[in-house]
Amino acid sequence: MKLTRREFIKSNAVAAAASVAGVALPVMNAAAVEADDGIRWDKAACRYCGTGCSVLMGVKDGKVVACQGDPDAPVNRGLNCIKGYFLPKILYGKDRLTKPLMRKKNGKFAKDGKFEAVSWDEAFKTMAEKWVAARKAKGPKGIGMFGSGQWTVWEGYAASKLLKAGFRSNSLEPNARHCMASAVGAFMRGFGIDEPMGCYDDLEHADVFVLWGANMAEMHPILWSRLTDTRLTKPGCEVHVLSTYEHRCYELADNGMVFEPQTDLAILNYIANYIIQNKAYNKAFIDKHVNFTKTPTDIGYGLRGTDPREKAAKNRAKGKLAKISFAEYAKSVEPYTLEYAAKLSKVPKDKLLKLAKVYADPNKKVSSYWTMGFNQHTRGVWVNGLCYNVHLLMGKISEPGNSPFSLTGQPSACGTAREVGTFTHRLPADLVVKKDAHCEFAEKVWKLPEGAIPRANDPILGKTLIHAVAMHRALNDGKMNCFWVMCNNNMQAAANMNDESYPGWRNPDNFIAVSDPYPTVSAQAADLILPTAMWIEKEGAYGNAERRTQFWRQQVAAPGEAKSDLWQIMEFAKYVKVEDVWPADLIAKKPAYAGKTLYDVLYANGQVDKFPAEQVTDSRGDKYDNDESAHFGFYVQKGLFEEYRLFNSAKGVPKKGHEMAEFDAYHKARGIRWPVIDGKETLWRFREGYDPHVAKGEGVRFYGKPDGRANIITAPYEPAAEPPDKAFDLWLCTGRVLEHWHSGSMTQRVPELHRAVPDAVVYMHPKDAKKRRLRNGALAKISSRRGEIVCKVDTKGRNKPPEGLVFIPWFDAGRLVNKLTLDQTDPLSKETDYKKCAVKITRA
Amino acid sequence: MSETERKNEINRRRFLGNMLKTACGVGLVGLGLGAYSKRASSMPANYIRPPGALPEEDFLGACIRCGLCVRDCPYDILLLGEVGDEVATGTPYFIARTGPCEMCEDIPCVAACPTNALDHDLKAIEDSRMGLAVVIDQENCIAFHGLRCEVCFNVCPIRNRAISLAMQHNARSGKHALFIPVVHSDACTGCGLCERACILEEAAIKIFPTHLAKGKPGKHYRLGWKEKEKAGESLVTPDAEHRYHLPEGVRYDLQGEGLIIEDEAMETPFSSNPLDTLNSGFLDR
Amino acid sequence: MNICSLIVHTKPTLGPRVSVRLQTLRGVEVHGGSKEDKLIVTVEDKGETDSPVSDTMNALRDVEGVVSTILIYHYGGEESLEEMNREIN
Repeated sequence: MKLTRREFIKSNAVAAAASVAGVALPVMNAAAVEADDGIRWDKAACRYCGTGCSVLMGVKDGKVVACQGDPDAPVNRGLNCIKGYFLPKILYGKDRLTKPLMRKKNGKFAKDGKFEAVSWDEAFKTMAEKWVAARKAKGPKGIGMFGSGQWTVWEGYAASKLLKAGFRSNSLEPNARHCMASAVGAFMRGFGIDEPMGCYDDLEHADVFVLWGANMAEMHPILWSRLTDTRLTKPGCEVHVLSTYEHRCYELADNGMVFEPQTDLAILNYIANYIIQNKAYNKAFIDKHVNFTKTPTDIGYGLRGTDPREKAAKNRAKGKLAKISFAEYAKSVEPYTLEYAAKLSKVPKDKLLKLAKVYADPNKKVSSYWTMGFNQHTRGVWVNGLCYNVHLLMGKISEPGNSPFSLTGQPSACGTAREVGTFTHRLPADLVVKKDAHCEFAEKVWKLPEGAIPRANDPILGKTLIHAVAMHRALNDGKMNCFWVMCNNNMQAAANMNDESYPGWRNPDNFIAVSDPYPTVSAQAADLILPTAMWIEKEGAYGNAERRTQFWRQQVAAPGEAKSDLWQIMEFAKYVKVEDVWPADLIAKKPAYAGKTLYDVLYANGQVDKFPAEQVTDSRGDKYDNDESAHFGFYVQKGLFEEYRLFNSAKGVPKKGHEMAEFDAYHKARGIRWPVIDGKETLWRFREGYDPHVAKGEGVRFYGKPDGRANIITAPYEPAAEPPDKAFDLWLCTGRVLEHWHSGSMTQRVPELHRAVPDAVVYMHPKDAKKRRLRNGALAKISSRRGEIVCKVDTKGRNKPPEGLVFIPWFDAGRLVNKLTLDQTDPLSKETDYKKCAVKITRA
Repeated sequence: MSETERKNEINRRRFLGNMLKTACGVGLVGLGLGAYSKRASSMPANYIRPPGALPEEDFLGACIRCGLCVRDCPYDILLLGEVGDEVATGTPYFIARTGPCEMCEDIPCVAACPTNALDHDLKAIEDSRMGLAVVIDQENCIAFHGLRCEVCFNVCPIRNRAISLAMQHNARSGKHALFIPVVHSDACTGCGLCERACILEEAAIKIFPTHLAKGKPGKHYRLGWKEKEKAGESLVTPDAEHRYHLPEGVRYDLQGEGLIIEDEAMETPFSSNPLDTLNSGFLDR
Repeated sequence: MNICSLIVHTKPTLGPRVSVRLQTLRGVEVHGGSKEDKLIVTVEDKGETDSPVSDTMNALRDVEGVVSTILIYHYGGEESLEEMNREIN
């Protein structure tokens, strides 16, 4: 707020008089008195969803006292959702953890002990002892780390190094496994390179929007605001919404469709069939840019091998593609007639036809958006792919407005979880441990002896891959004994808590560490709790769904002894010696590493520690702390990021297309969309003119694949793993609400947000409620084959399920909906399906 | 919650005490009470009567200050006016910001009322009119700035009817929409759930007694388009067909866009969408 | 230039009416308090040549409905008006 000296004096005068008189004044004057004097403003990426809004944080006297949407940010232009409005408050919950806490009895660690405050030194010593022992006894899968799409880019990168290079274990997974893995699987199978080809500018350029299992109105509030604006201002613009229940997007829908769970597979095949039957497909595009393939069918549900459904599956978890002809493809979708699709999905025919027509109309630019409805799906990779099929048939891809767009849930599921390789099978920049050449390249960049990174099928270590759900099973079975959870709340988030997660964590053989700012359900179920510096208490970087990488500086100090995840990862590495975890013959290949700690080998390697610690300043000369640099003695974030960039710039890069700008550029910009080449960012990939990797004259090139062609992959409709039956007669779908982020560990600590939505409720159809003698507001017991919870019935609220389906959000630690869910996954992506299991409901 | 409970408990006890004192010394304090009850007809604007309350004058006449509605409220939101309050002593009210009406389907407060001060004809809580929500501070309501809040809309029990969202173009950002909460008096019960949930430090949406909240249009004026909609046709003779002198390639759309200058390149003898032709065959099959 | 703030007590219920009357005086602004019958008022002048505040304050007392005035805050500076109108942040 601009204020002249005269106004300032006057407002002080008024305030003085008002306080003497005991008179309350209108807000205007009071605001002038609280002039923004002395507030330092700096930019940051919002802490929550994958939209990637930029916010300005106001700091005074070492505390965040104010915030605003960044008016210059292209994504949100100064706007925020209700969560973003309260960002400062998430730092200052009353129960912030400030000291490491370990379960102890008689002065020693004990699984059944009570939490006692310990020093970081004691915490890491105990932890290192357990980790080294488990690594030795049980091999690379004896230990595991579970990170996050909410980690900063360098935290994910440092963790990847710690596990893959340091502990020589591929037991590293992010919570993005529960969130984006199916999208990744489809990108890799279809295009050979991860992440969307389009960007948010599609929101202004499309004529038609189709939402597939994405409640953007609540989960991507600012993108929804942009989509709505286009719908309001562009003549002829249409919005089609598909979901298994009616949600807030239907308020804008021109064509709202509620389909029977799992039948999205059939609907997409019907659209493809419609396009082919009407010869509407873009033949020139297909001939030049597309291969046709099929994927094995009857692949199971990612359950334990002992489950009868797995035993019955003919091609359990198989996904190898086989080439087919266009004619064979056309034949494979032929059964999906309008009648069949309508019968399976229970969507009226005219609505399906209307939907098929917009895809098939060559003059309409169509953008499809999806999130967890597609991804958390036992056929998630398939269904992602079926949507690409439709876009590829029409050539409606990689150009403004024509965009199949996989939205991400988390702020850095792209930037961190996916791009720097925090999955069990991945390495930075889309490289994979399955490929020898990729491992060798990574070993070179990381200055490791050859063979240091465990291969997927390692000649000595054996099979080393283990995904998130398998980790919980391994803990339960005692095969994995050490588990470190960072920046997520997996006890609340993982499916089938009663049968798998909880018994696994509390298994007496296991040592569970949880790093979190707050005492979450996970922290309380752990053995060691590490207090964590969050978000802007450290220098950070997030990458959003449109490939935009955004940096921020450390704005304030963390409370007490809380330390960032980056500090924890690097400091912990000091407690482990190379000899503890590497065999002698490997060390012999690099004798200089003998006697060194993992910290020396991974982070003090002459590369990461190349940039000296410096006073961080901005263009106005404001100064910022950097606690990690101060502690380790070099510019940690810069060193890690610049080393990560070698994966795009070092000699012999196995895969191009992931180019990043240099570190300093990001502190100046409000996010830059990769690939960044010659200082220019890329808006639409694979399209000549927009993407520098596509040569002149090529038009379109899907360069992630060696032949430059994308895959159309045919896949049929297959039923869900646990459809309702007589005993459990309702579908259960879980998800989020606008007001709360994920497990609510931050937003539930904002009093206003808590007041707005205090508890999870079960949204159900009034008729379903009546049948069970329930009414709005009554308490209901929801039970599945695995557990039960009690919550209030809501028949009038924001979500309107059809008969036969109920929806419960998962943010509420008091009503753990994952006691009910089934630990089923897509057998290909290993991503959990949280959207479909069977429950019954009775009066509580 | 527990604090509210305690407060209510104290209120009730003190009220019973007051009743006793009043009974003993009614002559002495009669004068004073009279003064208070006069004052109460101008209750503070944020004091809202329970569901079914008769118009204020009648209510004050009918309410025997028994406190039974307060006792039977399962959410303990009802308070009783005390001596010194700006509300008639012993009469029930609630304050939406701290304790709104939770809209019980069986309306226990009304059922408890022995005198019909809370109207027993009120059968459905949706029909009650305790007050009216007003988005009073449009300067500070963050929805008017384009932020995605909509908490009032989301908590409203008369979903999408009492509060709806009017979607508008955000001219400042140029590419976002505004989702403006609009209250509809024909559905709003004045329960106050929205006022409690408002995330601002001072609520931007507030419940007011209906007579304070609502304007009244002049009896003589009608909104033409609404009358036409009601009648299903123009109230007077339909307009004659208009014809214009226009150059080639220019049309005039009287009810719609006005002057339309056709882009010559766009004009084709057939639809630009080949499917229009192709589909006809497919659909007939 | 001078900037002062005062509390102006009015006769009961006359707050709003007095408030309107005061604002007709030069350099006078009312910032609130009419409901309480205690008006929060500022008086300012632009320098020595233009209606010094002391005169205005005397005039306040003579306005109909005013019971008393109390001076709470006084700022007197040598700066020119231009300086005072420069933005400070």
